Amino acid sequence: MTTFAEAPSVASPRQGVERKDSWGSQFVKTVTSTDHKRIGYLYLATSFTWFLVGGILALFLRAELTRPGMQFMSNEQYNQIFTMHGTIMLLMFSTSLFVGFANVIMPLQIGAADVAFPRLNMLSYWLYFFGSLMAVAGFLTPGGAASFGWTAYAPLANATYSPGIGGDLWVIGLTISGLGTILGGVNFITTIFTMRAPGMTMFRMSIFSWNTLLTSILILLAFPPLAAALLGLESDRIFGTHIFDPANGGAMLWQHLFWFFGHPEVYILALPFFGIATEILPVFSRKPIFGYKGLIAATIAIAALSVAVWAHHMFATGQVLLPFFSFMTFLIGVPTGVKFFNWIGTMWRGHVSFETPMLWVMGFLVTFLFGGLTGIILASPPLDFAVSATYFVVAHFHYVLFGTVVFVMFAGFYFWWPKFTGRMLNERLGKIHFWTLFFGFHTTFLIQHWLGIKGFPRRYADYLATDGFTGMNMISTVGSALLALSMIPFFINVWITRKSPLVNCDDPWGYGASLEWATSCPPPRHNFLSMPRIRSERPAFDLHHPHIKTEGH
Amino acid sequence: MKANWRLFVGLSVFYAIMAVIYYYVGGEAVGITGMILASCLAGMVGFYVWFTQKRIGFDIPSDDLQGEIADDAGDLGFYSPHSWWPLPVALSACAMGLGLVIGWWLTLIALTALVVSIVGFVTEYEKPLPANSTHH
Repeated sequence: MTTFAEAPSVASPRQGVERKDSWGSQFVKTVTSTDHKRIGYLYLATSFTWFLVGGILALFLRAELTRPGMQFMSNEQYNQIFTMHGTIMLLMFSTSLFVGFANVIMPLQIGAADVAFPRLNMLSYWLYFFGSLMAVAGFLTPGGAASFGWTAYAPLANATYSPGIGGDLWVIGLTISGLGTILGGVNFITTIFTMRAPGMTMFRMSIFSWNTLLTSILILLAFPPLAAALLGLESDRIFGTHIFDPANGGAMLWQHLFWFFGHPEVYILALPFFGIATEILPVFSRKPIFGYKGLIAATIAIAALSVAVWAHHMFATGQVLLPFFSFMTFLIGVPTGVKFFNWIGTMWRGHVSFETPMLWVMGFLVTFLFGGLTGIILASPPLDFAVSATYFVVAHFHYVLFGTVVFVMFAGFYFWWPKFTGRMLNERLGKIHFWTLFFGFHTTFLIQHWLGIKGFPRRYADYLATDGFTGMNMISTVGSALLALSMIPFFINVWITRKSPLVNCDDPWGYGASLEWATSCPPPRHNFLSMPRIRSERPAFDLHHPHIKTEGH
Repeated sequence: MKANWRLFVGLSVFYAIMAVIYYYVGGEAVGITGMILASCLAGMVGFYVWFTQKRIGFDIPSDDLQGEIADDAGDLGFYSPHSWWPLPVALSACAMGLGLVIGWWLTLIALTALVVSIVGFVTEYEKPLPANSTHH
């Protein structure tokens, strides 16, 4: 007789148990990922890389402008660099930074296991990734990259005035990248509408999730007109159609279409970062958000009004309705003011402490307020005519966008770093980072207001010594160097804390309100092993501090 | 769920009103068209959400003020564990665009690749799963 041994069964890999992965399998895991957090980190890392690339381009611009005379660039190279600086910063850095934060944080905040369409999420990322590379690939072509400004005004952007495939790559790349953004917006809206945890009603959702929803709606409104305009432009460039031919009023048509996208785009950049600031303020003020519903109403108002203000970018054409657009633009200052009122109300009589994330939010409030005030100036046509297309405008939009996107990006990084990695960033280096960047930024851009008032036009590669712009330009360039250096403490910080002790708790800040603070740091694959009962807009706070009664809705 | 469709319908009505106002104060065609299309888009989403809500006939647990976590107990639904398909879809879409710039031959090749990869993407989980499969 033979005895039979039971054939050993092949052990299947146990689910949920992390094996130690080689670089190769990590790579495969990443490029095939459908995990909203991993895709979110991809978005954050890619957009931050673009931020660095765009920043280096900006340093080239500043270096060239330091002294009168062309130092080391040709006019054409200068044009390419400011075009790509704008394009990279707006569409490849800021927009996708929103998608990154929303991907990582929003499903956690609403108590969802993932986004509604995980594979579509990855498709959005790849479209953004390859589209962006394509748009920048113009630098490698003989004619160089696109050089018609990120606004690509007609007829400058047509094949006669801007020949070369750099411009074509720019148009096609942005169309593809924009398609990715649209799909991302659809994904977020569906996730928020259908995948909230039980009890997480719309009016218990965190402000960041609300702002993600409204930003996604704006994406749906703004990006299709951009895609249409870009495809029309490409058709003009390749097939010689006359869509944006000035003879048929194409110059105005382009500006209308572009700004019908362009203005909501500014709010697509701003609203999510307002949301992040609103998440951080109550945590470090030890108070609930002041005027939760007021903040939501203000965001809805901004989203609604933003499609009716586009032509304030076109005052100088003399062909738009000045009173209408001026009035609508002033009107949009009201909900923004409501937001400021609520942010200050949140801090008012709270136990405010200035950990690094709060410091960055303070930097945002100061900087954005200043940008908002110059925005009020520019909303008035007579004042706009005086400074239109000068460095005053450059200073204004850098205060608004850098103030919002970059300051709040770092606030979000320092705030959620333990949630991303399980480890805190170093506070001291964070503060050095903040103050260097703060002074660097204001030295660079505050002076540009006066430079603009004195008449230095934007997008000019050079000026004369007799113009009297030299001193102010030198101050600005020194500031930009400081601004660039401020990234070094951040990199050191990320490096030295890579093996610092794990926080090993759900809420390292101790006062977290929204649901991401009710799961581990970092969260497991499908986000929650257990979830608290949701009875207010602060479920994690209710869980960790059950003895404090919060007003339930 | 009321807040959802009211948000979209509200935006739709607002954009329509803005289009009318803009028309009456003497706005140009692009803006009027843009605002009407924006109104239609918001209205379409609002209508769909309202219609779905009406068809379901009750509040999903997410919209229940007294909702308990256990209300969603059971399978959350199918989540793709990982997928190769988004990469070829995006790559062939990009190649198609690149073809417009450098030559039609690439667009035609990429179009074929795009169709194949979209079919792969869509039907990835349409195959019958083996009976002893760990996921459902």
